[in-house]
Amino acid sequence: MSEDKDKVEGYRQQSGKLPFPRPGSGGSRGTSDLRDEEAIAGIKGLGEHKHDDLVTGSAVGKPTALVDGRWKVTGQAQYGDDVRLPGELIGRIVRSKHHYARVLSIDVSAALELPGVVAVATGRDASGSFGVLPVTKDEHAMAQEKVRHVGDPVACVAAIDESTAREAVRLIEVEYEELEALHDMRGGLEDSDEPIHDRGQYHIGSSNVQKRVFQEFGDIKGMADNAVASHSSSWKFAGANHGFTEPHAVVANWDPSGRLTLYTPQQVPHYVHRALADVLDVPMHQINVHRTFVGGGFGGKSDPFPHEMCAAILSRKTGRPVRINFDREEVFWVNRGRHPSRIDMNLHADSEGRLCGIETDALIDGGAFASFGHVTTYYNGVLHTAPYEIGAFHYTGARVWTNKPASGAMRGHGAVNSRCAFEVGMDGIAEQLRVDPITLRLANLLPPHSATITGFRVTSIGMRECLERVREASGWDEKFRKLPYGHGIGVGCGFFISGSGLPIHWEPNKFPHATVHLKVDMDGGVTVHTGAAEIGQGSDTVVAQSVAEVLGLPLDMIRIRSRETDTAPVDLGSYSSRVTFMNANAAISAAMEIRQELLDAAAEMTEAPNDRLVIGDRRIYMRDDPKIGVSYLEALHKAQEDKGALVSSGAYRTPPMGRVHKGAGAGIAPAYSFSAYVAEVKVDVETGQTKVLKVWAAHDCGKALNPLSVKGQIIGSCHMGLGQVLSEEMKYGRNGHLINPDLLDYKIPTIHEMPEVVPIIVESNDSEGPFGAKEAGEGPLLPILPAVCNAVYDAIGIRTSELPITPDRVHRMIEDRCKKEEMDPLDLDSPVLRHSELQATLEARASEHAERDFLRASDPDLPDYNNGALFGFNPEIPADEQDERWVVSVTPDSDYMESPRLAGSAWKHAERRHGGGS
Amino acid sequence: MVQFRLPMLPAAGEVPWSAVVNDEEVSLSIESNAILLDVLRDQAGSLGTKRGCDMGTCGCCSVLIDGVPRLSCLTLAQEGSGCSITTVEGLADGHHLHPIQQTFTECGGSQCGFCTPGFLVVISALLEDNPTPDDAEIKAAIEGNLCRCTGYQQIVDSVRAASNILTSGEAIEDSTAAKSDPDPGYVAD
Ligand code: FES
Ligand code: FES
Repeated sequence: MSEDKDKVEGYRQQSGKLPFPRPGSGGSRGTSDLRDEEAIAGIKGLGEHKHDDLVTGSAVGKPTALVDGRWKVTGQAQYGDDVRLPGELIGRIVRSKHHYARVLSIDVSAALELPGVVAVATGRDASGSFGVLPVTKDEHAMAQEKVRHVGDPVACVAAIDESTAREAVRLIEVEYEELEALHDMRGGLEDSDEPIHDRGQYHIGSSNVQKRVFQEFGDIKGMADNAVASHSSSWKFAGANHGFTEPHAVVANWDPSGRLTLYTPQQVPHYVHRALADVLDVPMHQINVHRTFVGGGFGGKSDPFPHEMCAAILSRKTGRPVRINFDREEVFWVNRGRHPSRIDMNLHADSEGRLCGIETDALIDGGAFASFGHVTTYYNGVLHTAPYEIGAFHYTGARVWTNKPASGAMRGHGAVNSRCAFEVGMDGIAEQLRVDPITLRLANLLPPHSATITGFRVTSIGMRECLERVREASGWDEKFRKLPYGHGIGVGCGFFISGSGLPIHWEPNKFPHATVHLKVDMDGGVTVHTGAAEIGQGSDTVVAQSVAEVLGLPLDMIRIRSRETDTAPVDLGSYSSRVTFMNANAAISAAMEIRQELLDAAAEMTEAPNDRLVIGDRRIYMRDDPKIGVSYLEALHKAQEDKGALVSSGAYRTPPMGRVHKGAGAGIAPAYSFSAYVAEVKVDVETGQTKVLKVWAAHDCGKALNPLSVKGQIIGSCHMGLGQVLSEEMKYGRNGHLINPDLLDYKIPTIHEMPEVVPIIVESNDSEGPFGAKEAGEGPLLPILPAVCNAVYDAIGIRTSELPITPDRVHRMIEDRCKKEEMDPLDLDSPVLRHSELQATLEARASEHAERDFLRASDPDLPDYNNGALFGFNPEIPADEQDERWVVSVTPDSDYMESPRLAGSAWKHAERRHGGGS
Repeated sequence: MVQFRLPMLPAAGEVPWSAVVNDEEVSLSIESNAILLDVLRDQAGSLGTKRGCDMGTCGCCSVLIDGVPRLSCLTLAQEGSGCSITTVEGLADGHHLHPIQQTFTECGGSQCGFCTPGFLVVISALLEDNPTPDDAEIKAAIEGNLCRCTGYQQIVDSVRAASNILTSGEAIEDSTAAKSDPDPGYVAD
């Protein structure tokens, strides 16, 4: 054979000529729009930001419809109870009817005999414990030995249909030995013969104290001496429920390969994933957690739940899919809502109108389980150490177990109640000092890029702008203390974490907080894999926008896959307002890798230097000669020549932050949000009915990536907060029974109770946030409670210290005041304000600080600023390192223990391992 | 513990049931005491109709019976027999959304979306009667629906926007229309 014949002759596409359209091309808008540099400058905002070069003007900053919105409006969105698998069984849970009891025996025989019942499970089928925090795993799928609240799961059944399952539940006989139930949280501080849980050597005495915190920072001894004004209050907050419209529901299915898929409306699929593995005793890779659409979460769908375990156990037993869906009543039994709390607070201000001390004592009622309680106990304290500069901070907090449905995380986790007490206290201080409460706040703000008294690193702060804008928009100066009796206006502020800096589970693995994967194949569409849980807040949308922005693509080319743990990289889920900050940051870094590959390809094709190319609308071209460039698809195909689909992975982790004392990790966050609200109310003095007329709500979210959603979050937060301040209350009757586990008696505001809310977006352009963004989901709830309380005071001169302010409570307070002043309700006066000399001092300080803050916001290289500078210390060094009167302490000394306050008395017990208890 | 979910009494037996659900004739055999919500969800395939409370307090289960908003969780299925029932699945015209569906997505009327089907059917009935409702009329129409996410304001915005679409006769885009071309050409302006 000749050599010639060995040569393989094949078909070769002539280079430069494609006789058919490029695969992946086609569609609408066949030409590219040029970059709108003006709009791009607007999106970048003031100051410099590390993401400035990535702005293409495609998606970020535009009011954007949710990418999954069309599923929702057509009824196609599948929520937990909409997952219907062939051959499904219906599961129901047998729940305790006692507050506290030992389970002596469970007789399931009658239930099993009922035709149509396929399986029954009890605590024996799963003894493993779980809990959202690894340090407090005190929950089980079903009762092991005791039931701890009415509604606590005891057993579960699977049957062919719902009525059979309900009937089977009735047929299960449980024999109980009732134990003495604990309902009053104060009792939880005392030793008990039968503590609700036993934490072994870590148990605190033989009490029901689940967690206690003691913290002192600053000039504790001096605060009372320096004070010229002090405000004391003693608050009682009722428990609140998330009230999401979708009751919990779950479907479990062990498939033929022996893997479990759990379909569940979860905010935190990853923790369920872990807990299932523990309880079912199979490795995590054998489980796929499929997050369905979530019909509202607000923190209430972020624990791993017993019913999720039950469904999995029943499905394992029966070999069939099992669906459990809750009655509304069961939602209240599972709860995890806002803690009922008793908060005592003293605020002190000195002669210069500085906040020389805060003393807070918070006792919170955790109900039957720990849930997020460890964290909640810290948050009740540490989250009111800003936005003001303070001279001293004393906090004692305790969380106790009681025989109620468990409290947990709820929008504004741990910060809401103490913030309300604090901001109402600020109003009281302003009144005593005879200054305007907004001015008082403006003269005491921490500057941007500073550290709080507890050592939290705060980056951007838009607090000043928030206050100024609501003052302006509400016509504050014309209204405050000037409205007629019964009509009032009040202000409140908020401060919240933008993502917990301390991941709950990560040590010692040191995984990133969030990871996002991208895949771009030859069709040009971008698939985003993220584990961030879309719960209606718009996380899918914000991640899509971030990717679209970096790649210069319209949103219709981005597809989000965020549902399954099988395909999504591990993500910690939707809690602590972490998703926008952490996930969008991870998405941006993943997109940057793809962007680089596209730019390199375009550079090669156009022969233009990489740094002179820009990404515009689906096109990469030379900045100064837009004609020279390639389409996105051309660049993509070039970039794919070597290895096919482009894939990338981006991760986000928080920088090292905070100080080192015990508990220093609680409350640290890579950024914080700020907000200021003004509420205008009318109180009917004859009926005690409070009507909120209008709310001006300014929130600093760093940068509104999707202004439509940010506004939605602000208004929605107002709604939820208004519920807590006006009408929502989990009511426990005299025998400790929850008497309103339904939406008729648990009063969520309807449209008639909802005032007009004017959302005001403040953009402080956070240096580490994605395109400058921070959270907007929880922080906006905080200010509404105190703003309304303060407005009620302005209206009728009555300071409430109990929430909600239902008409009967307000009426009683009015009566009390009338009795004391011997007046008729209609003749009462509203408070007046005649400014003292301090007002001018504060105004001058506020405007000085405004300049200081402006400089610090725009120049990140300025020297450090630590809380304490306002009190004359060198700002560059923490005050406690400069003056020994400024302390840092996390255990009470004997002086304090001589007369501890309520929650502080939790420290009278020693932990068992230190010889305490029995 | 009280269990609220109806029916509380055992069924007497099965009865035939037929109705026009979203313009389609549906004939079923149902338990005589069945609740309309259960029949719609479990038998008639309308999983878009949501169950939020089973006791008439949330409005998630709203449907139209002969054009009138009703809470399907408080309606015996037999009451709907022979009627025309509209659920959220019946609002769109093929791939063209109903104006209120369109504006709900654009104006933020829906966040988690669980209350959305209930709001949509109620509002569609309102707009059918009165394409230009004022604020008081909008409020009155949706007073029986709870939304925990939106605070209602963007829902009201959506109604106003839908009203504008209805009065201007603006066309609603077909959602299957071709999306963006990843390979666009350059045009100088
Ligand atoms: S399910 Fe019908 S009103 Fe709630
Ligand atoms: S959008 Fe979630 S309840 Fe309305």
